[in-house]
Amino acid sequence: VLVVNKRGRGGKVTEYPAADARFELSQGALHESIDGEVIVIDLSTGVYYSLRGSGAEIWGILERSPGVRGYDVARAMADRYANSGADVESDVLCFVDELRAEGLVSMQNGNTAANDGSSAAMVDGNPADGFASPVLEKYTDMQDLVLIDPVHDVTTAGWPHTRPDTTPDRKPA
Amino acid sequence: MTEMTSGERGVAEEFASALDGVSTSFEAAVEATGGVFSDRYVIAGSLVLLRFASERLREVLGPAFAHLAAPTDDGAAQPALTVHLWDSASTGAPPPPRPAPPGPHAPRSVFYVDRDPLRAVYRPEPASLSLFDSRVAWHWVDDASDIRYSDRASPLRHILYWWLPTQGYHQVHGGAVGFQDGGVLLVGKSGSGKSTSVLSSLGSTLQFAADDYVAVSGGDAPHIASLYNTGKLEPDHARGLFRHLVPLLSNTDRLEDEKAIIYAHEHFAQQMTSGFPLRAVLVPMVRATQRESRIVDITRTAAFAALAPSTVLQIHPVGQNAFTEMSQLIQRVPCHGIELGSDLTSIPRAIADFLGHRS
Repeated sequence: VLVVNKRGRGGKVTEYPAADARFELSQGALHESIDGEVIVIDLSTGVYYSLRGSGAEIWGILERSPGVRGYDVARAMADRYANSGADVESDVLCFVDELRAEGLVSMQNGNTAANDGSSAAMVDGNPADGFASPVLEKYTDMQDLVLIDPVHDVTTAGWPHTRPDTTPDRKPA
Repeated sequence: MTEMTSGERGVAEEFASALDGVSTSFEAAVEATGGVFSDRYVIAGSLVLLRFASERLREVLGPAFAHLAAPTDDGAAQPALTVHLWDSASTGAPPPPRPAPPGPHAPRSVFYVDRDPLRAVYRPEPASLSLFDSRVAWHWVDDASDIRYSDRASPLRHILYWWLPTQGYHQVHGGAVGFQDGGVLLVGKSGSGKSTSVLSSLGSTLQFAADDYVAVSGGDAPHIASLYNTGKLEPDHARGLFRHLVPLLSNTDRLEDEKAIIYAHEHFAQQMTSGFPLRAVLVPMVRATQRESRIVDITRTAAFAALAPSTVLQIHPVGQNAFTEMSQLIQRVPCHGIELGSDLTSIPRAIADFLGHRS
């Protein structure tokens, strides 16, 4: 298990690369939330992840609000945990950037105004005190299944198609 | 009436062309063989007809389903699924059209076509094609004598994966043992102790439903349905912990390149079951330093992590729906760990005790 954690604290929120970008969940990932934890699997790499702490809550915002700005996610979480004393905004922005680096969320192109809702509407719950830093755990123990038998989806050009036959003419055995 | 777009017409024409191609190849095999061997099985409560136009392929793939043979008096029943099976090597039939790999690819690559309702999976090496269209499927291999051990142990895995949801079931990566009034689903990646748990139950009071792949129904009262009576073991594992099973293995001459396969129905026919109500999910955990096996608490998330990624990565393409089905299953039944002690007889004992039966 690798704990993905590249975050540094204390910088200005606007200096984080995730602050101004808009995010949505990546298409190639499957995800489920169970008992306050999210399991995400990247079908292209065979890597799967566990999102713990407030990671599941942040994931929920990204799922419910495709196109949301990183900064707005951070503000929503900071407002909800305003009494926690934690550096919520920088934690959230670093976490979103970790999700991006792992390919679990992608940055939207353009500067559309989708999901610029109020921070209160984004979070799922009332203000709370205890903020648990988001944790992204990465599991690579099943990558072999993808690496040994690489998977390809055939496009519309690929079927049906009689391949140049390398099989010699056969007679019944 | 909604008119088809040119793109939809193109896809429809492709379907027709693909189905024509496989039918032509199958009929050529039937002509060469002089007929069809029709075998009837009851899988997940429904009648499945396997039509072999290759006796050699029937010899290789049939035994995995032997425990599910349909009663001989249901000849008039209509199958819910009919699968046509043939090979080119023993029949001389021309290969069917196969999906074209989009450029260079690794030797063991797998190619999928998913255009509902038509689905296909193609492996170039050794060549095989499975094609599914609602209640009818086709399974071609180039050479029935050159089939991977995993496909001999779990034949038609993709076709069954596509068909089972039409019967209210879905296929998962897991083993299953239990009693007629209830049993357990054992989940985890290869090497986690799943097969150790299942195969240590051979010869015990537990019934055998699955070692590697099994069907589970949805709903509030999930049910396990057996698919195969095979068990697989790493050769060293077989020679070490399961020495008593070595004389029963089907492929002792190929263990340099293959996992060991046992057809449990051939040797433990009384222990075979077509399924049972699912009482719990168990996640095996090897504990070499303790002698006795025991049931322990784990989180549902740990159970989901043991079940879902290995299922998803072994059966592509799995969509979000299947992922969610597995999540709902995990939240519907109790989930526990089973610590596997060094005394293998303690494994079926712990499971039987957990299920309220004498071991």
